[in-house]
Amino acid sequence: MKKVIAREKLPELWKSLAAKGPLFLPIQEGPVVLFQPWSEGAEANLDAVNTAVSAKDVFLPREETYLQYRCSGNQLELIPVENAEPVIAFGVHPCDLKAVEMLDKVYLDQEPSDELYRQRREKTTVVGLSCREPDPFCFCNEFGINPADAPGADVMAHLKNGLVLLEARTDKGKALLDQAGDLLQDGSDEKFEAAEVKTADFGLNLEGLPENLKERFEDPVWDELYKSCLGCGVCTYVCPTCYCFDVEDFGHEGEGQRFRCWDSCMYGHFTDMAGGHNPRAGRKERVRQRFMHKLQYYPETFNEIACVGCGRCLRSCPVNLDIVQAIKALGGETVEQR
Amino acid sequence: MAERNVESVNKVREAVSQDLLGGRIDLLLGWEKGHYWWQSRPLFARSEADLEKLAWDSFCAVNLSRYLLEELKDHDKVGVLVKGCDARAFNRLLQDNMVRREQVILYGLPCPGMLDYNRLVEKAGGAPLEITEENGRVIIKVGSGEQEAQRDDLLLDKCKDCRYPDPAVYDQLLFSPQGEKEVTERFKTVEELEEMSAEERFGYWEKELSRCLRCYACRQACPFCSCRECFVEQENPRWQGRAYQPSENFMFHLVRAYHGTGRCIDCGECERSCPVDIPLQELNRKLIKDINELYGDYEAGLDPEQEPPLLTYRPDDPAAFSEK
Amino acid sequence: MSAALNETAGGWEPLIVSFCCNWCSYAGGDLAGTSRMSYPVNVKVIRVPCSGRMNPMFVLRAFQRGADGVLVAGCHPGDCHYTSGNYQSRRRLSAFKRLVEFAGFEPERFEVRWISSSEGDKFAEEMTSITEKIKALGPNRKMRDARWQSVTSKV
Repeated sequence: MKKVIAREKLPELWKSLAAKGPLFLPIQEGPVVLFQPWSEGAEANLDAVNTAVSAKDVFLPREETYLQYRCSGNQLELIPVENAEPVIAFGVHPCDLKAVEMLDKVYLDQEPSDELYRQRREKTTVVGLSCREPDPFCFCNEFGINPADAPGADVMAHLKNGLVLLEARTDKGKALLDQAGDLLQDGSDEKFEAAEVKTADFGLNLEGLPENLKERFEDPVWDELYKSCLGCGVCTYVCPTCYCFDVEDFGHEGEGQRFRCWDSCMYGHFTDMAGGHNPRAGRKERVRQRFMHKLQYYPETFNEIACVGCGRCLRSCPVNLDIVQAIKALGGETVEQR
Repeated sequence: MAERNVESVNKVREAVSQDLLGGRIDLLLGWEKGHYWWQSRPLFARSEADLEKLAWDSFCAVNLSRYLLEELKDHDKVGVLVKGCDARAFNRLLQDNMVRREQVILYGLPCPGMLDYNRLVEKAGGAPLEITEENGRVIIKVGSGEQEAQRDDLLLDKCKDCRYPDPAVYDQLLFSPQGEKEVTERFKTVEELEEMSAEERFGYWEKELSRCLRCYACRQACPFCSCRECFVEQENPRWQGRAYQPSENFMFHLVRAYHGTGRCIDCGECERSCPVDIPLQELNRKLIKDINELYGDYEAGLDPEQEPPLLTYRPDDPAAFSEK
Repeated sequence: MSAALNETAGGWEPLIVSFCCNWCSYAGGDLAGTSRMSYPVNVKVIRVPCSGRMNPMFVLRAFQRGADGVLVAGCHPGDCHYTSGNYQSRRRLSAFKRLVEFAGFEPERFEVRWISSSEGDKFAEEMTSITEKIKALGPNRKMRDARWQSVTSKV
């Protein structure tokens, strides 16, 4: 099913879509663009190459309540939390969607699967958006991602000459376009091919890197690489493939809630143990963990490197200690130097 | 500019290589180039080969003094390249007894202010290919031609209202000093916020702080945040919850800023590091402004002998509340 | 301390948390009591060793957990049991008061007063005065943890 709508009509489309449940869009929030629920008057920005924080916020929210409880006397009542509302994520770029597929492998493809994640994932309709112009940090080509197409999207959207072309690819996607009704015009005659987009070429050679890293836990390269790390959690929080969370309780006077929220392996308390021992005592161990996870542990289990080249760590790390630095330091660079 | 830049890097390299290769220092903290010409990142130099990578250009924004906290654990004597703000940061650490003066050799670099890549893109109207600098002007080369701009218009926010571009402390000054700069807009935003009603101000901060990811980059990049255990990580009492609630956002940001009262050197690394551009410097500057108004002018990090305002008092101090 | 205290079905009564220095203001409160002076029940007193003990996080935590106003009371300058505790807190709390106002709190929400152990009348007056001011302002929502009100009533 192919549909088309004029760009200036988009707010009408969003209004109609948002009536059924949260509609997440790249929204201009002051100086940055973030995936946020759209509401009337919000300034959507589909021209932004990448949001400051990845679209994982839609699928794995930074904070999510697990359960609520109430005690009276000896009675403990557990109140389950349900995520019944349908969600639409509109304008997810191919790199971010590829990253969500990586989260799927962690949260859905292993036993036991994560029920909250499953509920949320199943009720979310994804409208992918092809990229037109990459910024200098984009390097998804290195991971074989085509910025012009997001294969996992329910609807694929392209911006073209003041028009938005929408192609439904799944039943969920068709339902979404049906929901929009008359706002959309037939687009079967429109050509849906986006121009080829070339992202930055950092000269990476990822062939065999995960294998090669297997025996390099004690490699001296780690003694140098971590030095500039400040020990903040920017990289993990903006990263679309980082998926670790922490569980915390909040309650008083016999009632409360248990929630999970994003956590970062760059923090000391991430591995703090009862009794005071911390197996990852310093920045070196934490930096090693983060990059080994992306480049060795994840690939070992799921057969692909846990990076999609979205470039957020390159953009946001205050000291430019990003995944490309790490890959290069670990020898994942084409020998011919630029 | 290109030749001049090579010249000045060579001058820096010459000054430090004698000390590093001669064994006077064990490590030099400097900058090297990142992936692009508009990125300069920290360099930890121990050898001649390391020094080959040394950079000193318009993008060396990272405050290096902060790294002393860790590096002095493994090294007896460390050399640091210091701009005005890095030097004040060093004084700050010195005042907190986090470093000892004799462990460090400071190479002073009077700083022209660092450039902001985003500003270059804005000015050029596209991805800039390279820049050349001449007499306070910057020529930005883009695919379609050239754009010229005033250097002052391209500075990082943190550098715009810098009053002391020259290092306040150094062992060796590598270039001629720039002199104290007149700044007029340092407290402009703070004053604008003060003009608002309480309701408006709360709305402003609630919105700005709502973006906070709690990544703590502001804290980690900050030279006054040198506590061995931060209140954020304290388990008992548990001051800082991890939920992304407005009340938790306020808790973190008010306490972070307040802990810098009389200690913040206004280097702006917190704001530069923030991935979601929260105007953190305005909180810091509010405290600087109030302390100056109430207890006399004080510029943290300028003079380590001068007592920080919250560590001292006078019996006749004024108060911001009624003393009747 | 519970937010349920100040918001009942019957209407709203402010909750004022008052941190009182052990040597002066707390004793001033005692004197107010033994002199049979009354002050509003809205004020909950927390005794601290000295106004210099005040960690500003105490104030913020009180606001998070339902306080509508916070008052710190200490010895008059010059009378500190520990010589200089209140001189220090005068500087710290002045900076802090300005900061919370900058964050958007009304100035009345956070106050500091000097009350000596012989000023039972002043103690009662100040407690009455802040309670009235906060009553006029209305409930404080700023920085109140929304989850604290009632965690499960929203279900």
